[in-house]
Amino acid sequence: MEIKPIFLSIKHNKAIAMLVIIQVAITLTVLSGSLLMTTSTLKEWNLPSGIPHNNIISAVPEFYDLEVDVRQSLVDDLARIEAITEVINVSPVTQRPFDAQGIQTIYLEASAEAQEYETNIFTGDANLPEVLQLSLIEGRFFREDEIVVGQRDELPAMPPIVMISEAMAKVLFPDNNALGQTIWLEKGAAPAEIIGIYSNFMNGENLNYFGQSYRTILQPLVTWQNRADPSYLIRVEDGMADGLLETIRNQLYKVDGRYVNRVEVLTRTQKRMYDGRGSHAIMLLVISSVLLLITAFGMAGLVSFLVTQRQKQIGTRRALGAKKWDVVRYFMLENGVLTTIGIVIGLVLSIAFAFVLTEDSGVNILDMSYIFATAFFIILVNQLAVYLPAKKAANVAPAIVTRSA
Amino acid sequence: MFAYNLKLAFKSLNDRPSLTILMVAAIAVGLGLFMTMLTLSHQAGKIPMPHISKQIHLVQLDNREVTADEAENFNQMVDLTYQDTQNLLKLPSAGVEQTLAWNTNGILNVEEQEIQPQRSSVVATNQAFFTMFEVPFLYGEGWDSDADQFSQAVIVLSKKSNDYLFGGINSVGKQVRLNTHVLTVIGVLDDWFLARKFYDRSYYQAWPDQAFIPSNFAFDSDLPRNARFDCWSTTTNPGKFRTNYLTELKTSECAWITFWAKLPNHNLEDYKTQLGQYIDSQKRLGRFPRENQYFLTNINDQLEVISNMIGREQMLGVISYMFFAVCLINAVSILLAKFMRRTKEVSLRRALGAKKRTILQQHLIEVVFIGIIGGLFGILFSYIGLQAMLRVSLYASDYVRTAADLMPYHQMDWEMIMMAFTVSVSCTLLVGLYPIWRICNVSPASQLKAQ
Repeated sequence: MEIKPIFLSIKHNKAIAMLVIIQVAITLTVLSGSLLMTTSTLKEWNLPSGIPHNNIISAVPEFYDLEVDVRQSLVDDLARIEAITEVINVSPVTQRPFDAQGIQTIYLEASAEAQEYETNIFTGDANLPEVLQLSLIEGRFFREDEIVVGQRDELPAMPPIVMISEAMAKVLFPDNNALGQTIWLEKGAAPAEIIGIYSNFMNGENLNYFGQSYRTILQPLVTWQNRADPSYLIRVEDGMADGLLETIRNQLYKVDGRYVNRVEVLTRTQKRMYDGRGSHAIMLLVISSVLLLITAFGMAGLVSFLVTQRQKQIGTRRALGAKKWDVVRYFMLENGVLTTIGIVIGLVLSIAFAFVLTEDSGVNILDMSYIFATAFFIILVNQLAVYLPAKKAANVAPAIVTRSA
Repeated sequence: MFAYNLKLAFKSLNDRPSLTILMVAAIAVGLGLFMTMLTLSHQAGKIPMPHISKQIHLVQLDNREVTADEAENFNQMVDLTYQDTQNLLKLPSAGVEQTLAWNTNGILNVEEQEIQPQRSSVVATNQAFFTMFEVPFLYGEGWDSDADQFSQAVIVLSKKSNDYLFGGINSVGKQVRLNTHVLTVIGVLDDWFLARKFYDRSYYQAWPDQAFIPSNFAFDSDLPRNARFDCWSTTTNPGKFRTNYLTELKTSECAWITFWAKLPNHNLEDYKTQLGQYIDSQKRLGRFPRENQYFLTNINDQLEVISNMIGREQMLGVISYMFFAVCLINAVSILLAKFMRRTKEVSLRRALGAKKRTILQQHLIEVVFIGIIGGLFGILFSYIGLQAMLRVSLYASDYVRTAADLMPYHQMDWEMIMMAFTVSVSCTLLVGLYPIWRICNVSPASQLKAQ
């Protein structure tokens, strides 16, 4: 066995052994730290949207002249947008997918201490399921005559019916069929009956952050309350969305006293929802991979030095009958011992580092499986960095010893 | 001897170029990331208007209920109520300038149909704002105290808004509409760079406001008030004050307006006395139920509190330091490998009479040289790194912020460049310590036996 000579040689080259150990330990700490941060940032990242977001345009105009007749301009807007040939369907809404503001709470009972369920409520006319291309799972969609239209504070009554998403149905009624049940969208308000269940679509950043991306409720309601209501969701023919943005903007500007804030394809809304997290994670990943590269090169450089130093020793061993593989194995084993010691120290440091990060951010990011995976990966890279120069060294001709002596 | 050593050092650098390159790369990459993070925090730590920042004080009076929590610093303290701002503005105090500021927003638009309206963030303030904060003007000037008193419809535009709405011409005297209100342009700002936007206490970087209007005009037009309302707990739903209930807000005990006083040193004590007297006089009216407490915090002290609270960059900062450490340890290994290959040559030179000092000099030259080259490339890498961080910020803001606004925060200055060289050379020297010590202690002729 080679263990004994390896320890002797490590004892002989204490400085280099220390360097390798420290390097492995710190690399493991930094790598696993940034990996843990990356995975915690990317949790719930880029989930399926559930809608053909490439073909849906969201338009958010805003009235700065409060005298404008919103009801009339709503009719005009819809007529003008529908007149565009490439437009398939349009619906006036107050929230858009990927962009749901805040978190709304709903209840299963009227009582004051009823349990709260978090969701996002989307409003729209009968076209909305068609615009979003939602598929019906149970029940039915809204009918034209069920849509309530009006200014928020002047509505005679809220619509007595709602539709809910599949994910919402599972949360509210895990054991029963949700269809036909009643829910309360506000405490003390009239209840609403669930008339249909539709396929999931993404609500927005707020609930996504809590892993509740697909909790949504549709209300058959066309309403406006503040200057930015209503906005429009417009589904257009495949591939036409980008070319239509300017046209739609100009159509909306035909109403005076209005500012057209944002006309964009929902793909961009989706990008905006994720981009803060995405850019942060990518930055960490780039740093981590450069670090790994540097470590690997450093390790290779170090081993090639060790190897050149021991050419004679290798030659002697070869002359005494050691196979090439024996020499390679020796170096790999030596590096393996050092790396393992480094890994053990690194594990302790990594856990401590993860604790500090957790305390800073308030989110528990410690996940041992990532730390072990990083450790395994470092061993792999190091072994590879040793293998290449060692293999070259093993090619030393056995006779070299005799020659140089 | 020095020239000879220099020659030897260069020869040695050329000897195994791959090891030299590897070492320079390790130092440069590590330094690049290190300097990127250091520059970002260096720029973020800069103080707006450093020549007067210590005179500019945020004024906060503790008009809260008896039951409210103690405040340790200005950041936990409420701002001013409307009535207090009005009363303080009337304080007779020579040499002291005071201003108030609150945020609103609206749609700026002009008669010309081809120029589309623009959503703008607008600051409502008074005439002292422009003189106190030494705001640079391109055209015209700030409004006068009459405009404040009679809430005249005047507006000061930022350079960018003027470029957008009027094509960059001198627009003073022209009319612009904020929502449906017609205002006369009275001044246009020049580029006004603030390391942090302090005046609304957001401390944002690179989010400039588009226009400034008299606070009284903003009240008369009932523009939205984008503020946090710290009200007594008896006030229901303070959020309603954003767009409604102005009359109620003006007499309420809701604190929401930031208030600033420019106090040259000799005025500070006087001003404090005045604040104390003011609180006492209000106590007689049944206000200010708590102990006399007010905060006067200058900009430097504010930033100190704020900079302790920024999280994400700090984590990246810690990672960049550790990254640099790994790169340095790497460099030690490579340097050791490089030097120890030369054991034979050194022992020969020693045998032929070279002193330890000579050997030391040769290797020091080599190490310093590597340090300088590493520093050069490190600066190059940190330039690339800063550019990348700028792109990331642009991307993460969905291209709402502009590269020109962000540029000052992602730029190396001479201080940072000198810093890079110092760090690079001193770190390579540190890295070189052990390898040089090893090579200098090679005993003369020891390696010759084997030959």
